[in-house]
Amino acid sequence: MNTKPEIESTEWKNKFCGKLVQILSEEGVISSQDELIAYECDALTAYSIKPIFVVLPRSTKQVSEVIKLCNKENIPFVPRGAGTGLSGGALPTEEGIVITLARMNHILEIDIPNQRVVVEPGVVNLWVSDAINRNDYYYAPDPSSQSVCTIGGNVAENSGGVHCIKYGVTTNHILSLEVVLPDGEIVEFGGKTLDHPGYDLVGLFVGSEGLLGIVTKVTLRIIRKPEEIKTFLASFDRIEDAGASVSGITAKGIIPAGMEIMDYLCIQSVNKAVQAGYPENAKAILLVELDGPIDEIEAQMPLVMEVFNENRAKEIRIAKDTEERDLFWKGRKSAFAAMGRVSPDYYVQDGVIPRSKLAEVLGEIKNLSKKYGLRVANVFHAGDGNLHPLILYDSSKEEEAEKTEELAVDILKVCVDVGGSITGEHGVGYDKKKFISLMFDEKDLDTMNLIRCTFDPQGLCNPGKLFPTPRTCVEQGRKSYRVHPVEKAGLGEMY
Amino acid sequence: MSESLNEIIKIVSPNYFLDESPEIEKYSVDGKKPNLVALPNTLEEISEIIKIANRDSLAVVPWGGGTKIKLGNLPNKVDVVLCTNKLNQILEHEESDLVATTQCGISLKEFQKSLREKNQTLPIDPPHLEKGATIGGIIATNDSGPKRLRHGTVHGTMRELILGIKVIRPDGNIVKGGAKVVKSVAGYDLPKLFVGSLGTLGIIIEATFRLYPIPKFSQTYLVNFPRLQTAHETVLSILNSALTPTCLELVNLTLSDSISDKLNLDLKKGEFSLAVRLENVEKAVKSHVSKLRDIYSEKSSGSILLEGNSEERFWNEIREFPWIKTENNRTVCKSSVLITDIPKVLELLEELSRKLGAVIYASVRAGNGILIISIEGETSKLIEATASLRDLVGSLKGTILIQQAPQVLKSQIDVWGEIGSSLNIMKKLKSRFDPNSIMNPGRFVGGI
Repeated sequence: MNTKPEIESTEWKNKFCGKLVQILSEEGVISSQDELIAYECDALTAYSIKPIFVVLPRSTKQVSEVIKLCNKENIPFVPRGAGTGLSGGALPTEEGIVITLARMNHILEIDIPNQRVVVEPGVVNLWVSDAINRNDYYYAPDPSSQSVCTIGGNVAENSGGVHCIKYGVTTNHILSLEVVLPDGEIVEFGGKTLDHPGYDLVGLFVGSEGLLGIVTKVTLRIIRKPEEIKTFLASFDRIEDAGASVSGITAKGIIPAGMEIMDYLCIQSVNKAVQAGYPENAKAILLVELDGPIDEIEAQMPLVMEVFNENRAKEIRIAKDTEERDLFWKGRKSAFAAMGRVSPDYYVQDGVIPRSKLAEVLGEIKNLSKKYGLRVANVFHAGDGNLHPLILYDSSKEEEAEKTEELAVDILKVCVDVGGSITGEHGVGYDKKKFISLMFDEKDLDTMNLIRCTFDPQGLCNPGKLFPTPRTCVEQGRKSYRVHPVEKAGLGEMY
Repeated sequence: MSESLNEIIKIVSPNYFLDESPEIEKYSVDGKKPNLVALPNTLEEISEIIKIANRDSLAVVPWGGGTKIKLGNLPNKVDVVLCTNKLNQILEHEESDLVATTQCGISLKEFQKSLREKNQTLPIDPPHLEKGATIGGIIATNDSGPKRLRHGTVHGTMRELILGIKVIRPDGNIVKGGAKVVKSVAGYDLPKLFVGSLGTLGIIIEATFRLYPIPKFSQTYLVNFPRLQTAHETVLSILNSALTPTCLELVNLTLSDSISDKLNLDLKKGEFSLAVRLENVEKAVKSHVSKLRDIYSEKSSGSILLEGNSEERFWNEIREFPWIKTENNRTVCKSSVLITDIPKVLELLEELSRKLGAVIYASVRAGNGILIISIEGETSKLIEATASLRDLVGSLKGTILIQQAPQVLKSQIDVWGEIGSSLNIMKKLKSRFDPNSIMNPGRFVGGI
């Protein structure tokens, strides 16, 4: 990006602000320094940058006009939902604006017979299920932050949750998107019906972390609630036995709706924080949720019990009602926040491994924890191999913060070494852009850059994320090649 | 061009055919014969071939089992057909992970056979199974079958089942995307970009999938309805019940009669039939059957139970009916509409059948809104029927894809139909990936 000296001038800022106000009116533009602080970072608070302005559009047209203005003035823009992201995906850009979709928060259409709901991006995940609850339908992806995070953010990050093993992630539940492209053009990807001809731009856009445009309308697929839900809580003396139970259950031909493991440190913390009532001395607990037709569940229950017993489960509880089920899950869903009870600070890692490597990887994490002298609490979506090791540290001790970072990276390396991924649901964003090369070589990243350049040749849409180094775009149809200033300055490479 | 072809021949020799070979005929695409058919052994060989094609702007048609080669608009040109079926090894299958990675030249049938040894399956049932449809071809066309209802979403299509991919880009680079685990959000979702891309962005070499255990027990109920309206009401009631069928297929009169005759099913003539497949543990299937009866009992005019071989044969007919016949004068369409709009399309089909005297077979994935339609008749009638269908489906905001049609019809229309506001960005994507337009030129949407 060319740095334009005039951006720093108050005169330019006032003028630019005036143009934003023209599009959004006064109530849609935040310019006071005090208020801008709230948008300095997302839930990854380690990085913060103050944007020059924040805008709160109420319509697709406003989003498009703001983006067109940004193009004209060469100003980068960062989309933002509720700011619950954990990878710095909504971290503002230096001298850029933030476009927050919080005010585009209407459920536009509920179509039960066709199993569709159309929403604006600022709609909170849980509102969708709440709105169709009385029809016995729900929206399946349920990230732990579902009571605050927005559908737009879920689309950007391809959010998961605790029921992905059976029901998939966000991308499996999105049918169409209205998108404002990085040049301001409004387009529709997919449709309310299935299998749209052409490239799967919905599939490409979901999980693109806000780099390919801003979503302004989403058609969701909803599914009918299962007839029966049974939730088990089993405690173990060894975390390996909990892991073996997970493989044992799928080997029986059962795909539970969810399977979650928490280790000792985690159990202690959530018991303190939310009185989850998990067995106090357990070294690990495994939550298993079966859902489906009553007869199916009845047939599966003894098989699950058998697996627990084969793996030396100490105590097995089955939730007797919704209240107890909610309590089982409350502990799990508040696991991150509960770390505050046992440590001044914590860092959430997000890595994925093949299920079969669970015991091996847990051993490695234990060794690393010893090596760095930092406690690691483990909580994970065991069914799909998505680990969330929580590294406990004290940010007031400088060397601990540094060690935390190193330990977090080492854990990722372990995940990739066993054939896994550096992120299962939190995204690459700003936080992990350096580590994407652990999984993808230069040619793979070059392919991703072809996609980015198709959508955003100017590099204005959420720049500085996902890719390890800044990348420019070759102009289409240009035969001769001139060295770009960014490249000349050694700040980026041409691909 | 002959020089570039010679270079390619050197790479694959002796595995190639030239245009004087009698073999070449069966590799033609909508009547266009290639100059060379290459059957490379390794991905490196493919990469080398693609580099030559890219340098010299040769049109490359990737070829798996060749079962869906009639899909797409008439090609601009066909220089090299590139067969992938020598790359057919299953690379990894860790059963406790429920994940497998395979080379994409393998046929679906072989792949399933291997998975079955560990009691697992890729839950997808597109047509052309016996004819050797390959994994790569099914990905490239996003083809699917009746089995699309399980868990609402994650069964039945490559789009929902693919986790990772390795492709050869039109510049010859070998690249990958996605991951080999069931959940990953690192980088853009390259696997999904390639699903349904008809080979226009590169050659699909390897793919990783999530798998599922094979259900323990399966039964299909075939229920007759004298009236379309009641059949459709039953569909809506089933979808809104606690039942979890894996297939829910509404079959029109003509197809129902034809299948009944062929398989000696003794279905009532001239009625719609609804096929409900239940796959689960035996106890659950049996209890669902009685619940199912409660839903349809008053409205139906009779029902039969299918299991074992007769069940498999029935679903084979549903999957393959448009493709078993060999006559040329027919059009096969796949239309996608909202579930509640299904009757409107079926009514139009009955009307067209009366008005034009065309024979129209139709089978509907009633829980998904997807209709597979086969129309037989003179070309002028096919053109009229297709145009009427397009009008109706367009007004319902659905889509219609002509999967197969006589060349004279194909020369008059775009088989993919209107793409809408996203076509522009699709064209830009294509030109970023394939600036010389060597991959399957002209056959995809909007002339891509």
